[in-house]
Amino acid sequence: MKVIFFGKLRDALGEESDLVAEQGETVAQLRRRLADLHPAASRDLLNPGVRACVDDEIVTEDFIVGDRESVEFLPPLSGG
Amino acid sequence: MEIRLADQSFAADRELAQFSSRLDGEGAVVSFVGIARDRSTDGEKVEQLILEAHPRLTLRSMEEIGQAALDRFPISRLRIVHRVGSLLPGEPIVFVAAASAHRRAAFEAADYMMDRLKTDALFWKREDTDSGSRWIEPREDDHVARQRWSEMCPE
Repeated sequence: MKVIFFGKLRDALGEESDLVAEQGETVAQLRRRLADLHPAASRDLLNPGVRACVDDEIVTEDFIVGDRESVEFLPPLSGG
Repeated sequence: MEIRLADQSFAADRELAQFSSRLDGEGAVVSFVGIARDRSTDGEKVEQLILEAHPRLTLRSMEEIGQAALDRFPISRLRIVHRVGSLLPGEPIVFVAAASAHRRAAFEAADYMMDRLKTDALFWKREDTDSGSRWIEPREDDHVARQRWSEMCPE
């Protein structure tokens, strides 16, 4: 499963990460898994202003991503 | 609606001239240019501004804003141009224009589009100064400005 990062999250995590998908994993669980893997970025990852996006739609924290090919994490936007 | 992202510097006067050249009897055109400042909020000198966008959602967010302006105000046409990539202080970041029969709608539509762009357009901005880089979040003023469009006219 590909995880793609934008904005501030890219600084600590890079543009893209390849993770082994976990069956039934939700967005919230994936976030915690990423935070465990990257402790320095955990505050940014667990910021409630960060939103997850699958197939160009924002999804909720309980959305299951375990069967998806890619997930994007969008930090709080700066606006135009 | 004429809405696009520009990965190179654009000229506001050329955008306005192009927009105005296609008028169809409208009596009013209002435009706005947002320009990259040379000082950050902390007063530091900005070396460059980085604007990051989502490959699809950013343009979509701009189109939603444009459509909302068309739905809400009696304007006939609008244009939104927004930079992505790296900008130097003094360069234009965003251009909006609206055309209508009379000026009130054009002023309001341009004002509305800018308030929406400042809070709802999907961009991530980073200011690079001598002492480091900082990712920006919208200012309190921007959220207050956005809010007034919700309170003003009931739909």
